Amino acid sequence: MIVLDTPLLFSTILVPFIFSLIMPFLDKRVSVKTIAIISTLTLLYSLAVITSLILRYGLNEGIVDPIHFRHALIGSLTMLLDSLSGPIAFSIALVTSFVAIFSLPYMKHRFEEMEKEGTHPPSWGIYYMLYVMFSAAMLGTTLSTNLIQFYIFLELTLIPSFLLIAFYGYGDRVRIAIMYLIWTHVGALLFLLGVVAIGFTTKVFDILNVGTLKFNMGIGEGLKDLTIPVAIALMIGLFVKMAIFGVHIWLPYAHAEAPTPVSALLSPNLIGIGGYALIRIVYILFPNTFSKASPYLIALALITIIYGGLMALAQDDFKRLLAYSSISQMGYILLGIASLTFFGIAGAILHYVTHAVGKAVLFMVAGTIIVQAHGLRSISKMGGFATAMPITASLALIGFMHITGLPPTLGLWSEVLIIWGAIGKIITSSLLTLLIFIAGLTIGIGISTAYAFLTMKRIFFGHVSEGHVKVTEGKWEILIPIIIIGVVGLILFFYPSLFIDPFRNFYESLRA
Amino acid sequence: MIISELIAHLTWLAPYIGAALALLLLKIGRVRDYIAVSTLFLSAIFSTILLKEVLESHEGFLHYSYPWVKTLGINVGIYIDTLAVFMSFIVAWLCFLIGFYSLKYMEGDPGLTRYWFFFNFFTGSMLLLVLADNLILMFIGWEGTGLASYALIGHWYKDEEEKCVGDVGRTALGTSMFFTPSHSGVRALIFTRIGDVGFIIGIITLYIINGTLSIPEIAKNTEVWGEWLAVRGLLLPFLLLFSLGALAKSAQFPFHEWLVTAMTGPTSVSALIHAATMVKAGVYFMLRFAPIFYLISKLDGVHTYFTIITYIGAFTAFLMASQAIVARELKLVLAFSTASQLGYMFLGIGAAGLLEEFVEGFLASFNHLMSHAIFKASLFLAAGGIIHTVESKYLDDMGGLSKYMKVTFASTLIAALSLSGFPPLMGFWTKDTILEVVSKTGLLIPFIFGIITASITAFYSMKIVLRAFIIPPSHNVKHLIKEHKVHEAHPIMMLPYTILALTSLIVGLLWYFMAGNLNKAITKHVLGLEEVHMKFAVHIDPILTGLSVSMVLIGIGLGVIAYTGPTYAKFINESLAVNPLLKGLHNFLYNRWYINPIYYRVIVNGMRWLSRSIFKWFDTFIIDNIYHILIPKVTTLTSIQTFKVIETAGIDRGYNNLTVRITLIFSNIFRSIQTGRVNHYILIFIIGLALFLTFIWLI
Repeated sequence: MIVLDTPLLFSTILVPFIFSLIMPFLDKRVSVKTIAIISTLTLLYSLAVITSLILRYGLNEGIVDPIHFRHALIGSLTMLLDSLSGPIAFSIALVTSFVAIFSLPYMKHRFEEMEKEGTHPPSWGIYYMLYVMFSAAMLGTTLSTNLIQFYIFLELTLIPSFLLIAFYGYGDRVRIAIMYLIWTHVGALLFLLGVVAIGFTTKVFDILNVGTLKFNMGIGEGLKDLTIPVAIALMIGLFVKMAIFGVHIWLPYAHAEAPTPVSALLSPNLIGIGGYALIRIVYILFPNTFSKASPYLIALALITIIYGGLMALAQDDFKRLLAYSSISQMGYILLGIASLTFFGIAGAILHYVTHAVGKAVLFMVAGTIIVQAHGLRSISKMGGFATAMPITASLALIGFMHITGLPPTLGLWSEVLIIWGAIGKIITSSLLTLLIFIAGLTIGIGISTAYAFLTMKRIFFGHVSEGHVKVTEGKWEILIPIIIIGVVGLILFFYPSLFIDPFRNFYESLRA
Repeated sequence: MIISELIAHLTWLAPYIGAALALLLLKIGRVRDYIAVSTLFLSAIFSTILLKEVLESHEGFLHYSYPWVKTLGINVGIYIDTLAVFMSFIVAWLCFLIGFYSLKYMEGDPGLTRYWFFFNFFTGSMLLLVLADNLILMFIGWEGTGLASYALIGHWYKDEEEKCVGDVGRTALGTSMFFTPSHSGVRALIFTRIGDVGFIIGIITLYIINGTLSIPEIAKNTEVWGEWLAVRGLLLPFLLLFSLGALAKSAQFPFHEWLVTAMTGPTSVSALIHAATMVKAGVYFMLRFAPIFYLISKLDGVHTYFTIITYIGAFTAFLMASQAIVARELKLVLAFSTASQLGYMFLGIGAAGLLEEFVEGFLASFNHLMSHAIFKASLFLAAGGIIHTVESKYLDDMGGLSKYMKVTFASTLIAALSLSGFPPLMGFWTKDTILEVVSKTGLLIPFIFGIITASITAFYSMKIVLRAFIIPPSHNVKHLIKEHKVHEAHPIMMLPYTILALTSLIVGLLWYFMAGNLNKAITKHVLGLEEVHMKFAVHIDPILTGLSVSMVLIGIGLGVIAYTGPTYAKFINESLAVNPLLKGLHNFLYNRWYINPIYYRVIVNGMRWLSRSIFKWFDTFIIDNIYHILIPKVTTLTSIQTFKVIETAGIDRGYNNLTVRITLIFSNIFRSIQTGRVNHYILIFIIGLALFLTFIWLI
C-alpha cells in the first residue's frame, strides 16, 4: 500500500466538517450565495483531493493516510482509499459537490414555498451546515478502516439527514423523518450488535491492520457458535440501509419526501454504502459464511430487482417512482456482490457509480420540474415537456440510459459486469436453476427498461393537452450541475478501466 | 499500414464524429446538415477503400486493435473479413444515400439536430457492430443501434395524429390498435432489449468457457466450447439464447410486433434502420456465427437449432406477408414486407445449417440481404416521396400518380418487381436460391411457406404499384391535381431511390455472369468457412425455378385482376360486407393475427395488474401497514398497558402508596407500644429477654 506524506484523506472529511460548523454563523452576515459557494468549495476540495489521488497513484494499491489513531478499546484507525472505496468516494464527492450548487436555486424555491405555507424553516446556514456535514460523514464511512469508526460515521450521516428531512421535507415531514430515523437506527443497531460481538470476542475492531497494512481477513469466522448469527445481524443491518426487499418500506417515504437535493444524495449515495459495507466489512470478516449465503443472496437480489421495478411501474409520483427504482437498483448491486466473482463485485462497485450519477441526474430532473412547474410531481399531470424543456429531457434520457445500461453510459459496463459475475457463479448449477435465473433476470431487465422509458414518454413526450401544466426550461444554475454529473457518467463509459482494472489486485488479495 | 489502419477505424468513427459535430453546430442549420452527411460520405468512401484492400490482400482479412479495458480483455478492435467488409460497404453507402435524401425530406423539421445526431450515431453503431472483433464491442454497437432506433421511431414525439400508425379508435380484443410515435419507440426498445438479455448471457457464457471475447479466437476454439456445452446438455439452450438478440432485432416471430409500429418514424428512418440496415443486424449475426456453429454440427442440439431457425424464418415470412395483403398504409405494407423478407433470410441460413453445402445457404442468405437492402430502401424512399406529394399515408388517398411522377413510378416498379422476385431482377435470383436451399433440406412445411409467401409477395408488390400509380386517382389526388400540387419529388430525394432501383436492375441483369465471382469474393475469408469446399457457378433448377416463377406470376396476376379490374373496389367491399368468412379473415389479418392484442392483454396488462395489485395489497396494505401501523400500534398499546398495569398499578402504587401505608401501619403499631410508662417498658423487656433466652436454649 502507498502511505501518503500528509493526511490528505483525513482532510477530505475534516475540511468540510469544520467549515460546516461555521455556516450557521455566516447567516445574515454574508449573502446566501456566498454560503452556497463556500459549501460547494469545501466539497469540491474533497473531490479534487480524491480525484487527483486516483489519477496520480491509480487504485492498484491502497492509499492510506500517514497518521493513525490508537485506542485501547477500539483499536487503531486510519483512512483508506483503494479500488473498493475509491469509486465510492469519488461518486460521493462528485454528487455532493454539484448537488450543493443545485441546492441554491432549488432551496430558494423550497423556502418560498414553505414561507407561503406559513412555516419558517431553519435558515440557509443551517441547511448548508447539515448538508455539508451529511456529505462529509458519508465520505467518512467509505474511507473508514475500523468498525467503530465506520459506525460513528454512519450515525453521523443519520442525524443531519434526519434533520434535513424534518426541516425542509414535504408532506408529513416530521413523521416521515422520525420513521426514517427509527428504521435506519434499527438497522444500525443490528449492525452495532454484530460489531460489538466481534470486537469483544476477538479483541479486534480493525478491518485493516494499520501496522501490517493487511486486511483482517476472516477474523469473524473465529466466533464459533456466534459466527452465523453475527454475520446475519450485520447483513440484515446493511440490508435495511440498502432497502432490500422486505425491509425497504421506509425508503419510498424518506426519499420521496426529502427535499430533492437531499433525495439526490440519499437515494444513490447513502443507501449504496450498505452494499459497499457488505464487501468491505461482512465479506472481509466472514468470507466463508458469506460464500455459503451467496445462493440465498442471489435469490433475494433477483426478487428485489423485480419487486422494486414492479412497484416503480405502479407509481404516479415521479420522486416516489425514482425511490422504488433505487430499491430495484440496489438489487442489481446485491446481485453483483452475491456472485462473489471478480466481475460481479467489480460490476457492483461500478454500478454504485452508475447509479450515483444516473439517479442523481434523475432526481435533479425531478427537482427541475418541481421548480419550474410549482411543485409538480404527479406524472399523470405531465406530458409533452420535451418541447419546452429540451435540455431537461435530454438529461432525463441520459439518466435513464444509465440505470438501464445503454451505451454510451457507464451503465452498460456495470450491467454487463453484474450479469457476467452472476452467470459465472450460476453456470455450473442445474439447468433448471439456470433457466429460472435467466427468466428472472430477463423479466427484471425488461421491467427496468419499461418503467424507465415509459416514464420518459409520460413526462416528456406526447401531446401537450389542455389540462397539463405549462413549464419552461430551467435556468442555467439549475441545469449546469446536472449536465456536469451526467457528462461524467458519459466520460466514464470510455474509461471504465480506471475503476475495473485496479480491482483485480484487490480481488486477488481477498481470495488469497 | 498506419494509413489503412486509420481508414479502417475511421469507417466507423467518422459517423460518430459527425454526430458530435451535429450537436455542436446546432445553431447553424444548413452547415450542420451538410457536415453530418459529409461524414457519412467519408465513411462510405472509407468502406470502399477497405473493400478493395481486403479483396486484394493475401489473407482476405484485416485485423487492428487497441487495448481498452485490460482486465476484461476488451479491445477497440476491428476484424474485417470478407463478410464484414461487404456488409459495411452496403451499410455505409446506404446510410450516405439515405442521409443525402434526408437533406430534402427532413428539411424544415424542428428536431433536425436530434435527427442528425441519432442518424449519425446509428450509422457509427451499425458499422461498429459489423466490424467489431470482440463480442462486447459488437454488443455496444448493437445497443447503440437500439438506442438510435428508439429515438428516431419517436422522433415526432408530439404524437400528432398523422404521425401515428393504425386507425384512430380501432381496437381489437379491447386493445387499442393505434400507436403513437412515443409509444412505438418504447415498444421497440423493450422488445429488442428482452432479446438482448439472451445475447449478453450468451456472450458471457462464451467468455467463461473460452476466457476470451475475441470472435476469431472463439471461432478457432469452437470444438472445445461446443463440447463443453454439449456434455452438460447446454448446447441447444445456449445457441437459442445467444441468438435471441438476433431474432428480436430482426423482428422474427415472436418478436415481430415492434417493427410494424416502428413506422411512426420519419420515412427516411424507416428506410435506413427498419428496412435496409439495423433489422439486418440479426441476419448479420446469423451469418457471422452460423458458420461457426456449423463447425460443430455433429454435436447434439446443433441440428435442432438450425431446424428451429428454419421454421421461425419460414413462419415469419408467411405471417408477415399475409398481413401485408390487407394493410391500408403504404409504409405498413412495406414494413410487413420487410419482416417477411427477413424471415426469408433466416430461412436461408437455417436451412444452410442442415445441409452438406452450407456455403450455398450462407450465400443465398447474404445475397438476399444485399438485394433486399437495395430494393427495399428504394421502395421506402420512393414511398416517402409519394407520401410527401399526396400528403397522406393511406393507399386509399393515392392512385393515378404515374402520369405526374414518372421517375418515381419507374423506380418503384423496378424495385417492386425485384421484391416480387420477377426475373431477371436481383430479387429473383436471391430469393430463388433461398427456395432452392430450403427444398434441398427436404423440410416440407418451410418450403411450402416459402413458396406461398413468394406468391403473396408478388401480390402485395403489385398492390403498391397499382394502387399508387395506375388505378384512377382518388378524390384526394384529384383535389391535389386541381391545386397543381402533384409533382415529381425533389431531385435530392429522387436521386437516391433511382440509383438504388437501377442497381437492382443492372445487377439483376448481370447476375448470371457476375454471381460466381461475387460469391467467390464474399466467401474468400469468412470466419468458420475456411475449410469448406465451394462451388460458385450459378445454376438454375428448372423445376424449382419454374415453380417459383409461376407462383410469382400468379401473385402478380391476382394483383392486377384485383386492383385494375373495373369493379375491384365494389367487388372487394361487397364481399367483405356480405361474406362473414371473408370479413373474419380480413379482420384477422388486419388485426395482425390478434398477436398484438394478446401480448397486451397477457403481458402488458398482466404486468400492470401485477404491479398495481402488489403495490396496493402487498406493499401498502401488508408491508407498509405492518411496519408503520401494526408495530407502532402494538408498541403504543403495550406501552399504555405497561403504564397502567405495571407502572401505575404496580410500581407507582407499590412505592408511593403501599410503602406509605405499610410504614403507617408499622408506625401505628410502634406508636401504640410507646406508652411512656416505665413499668410497661420493663414488662416488654422481660418478655423479650425470656423469648431470647428460650430461643438460644432451643438452638
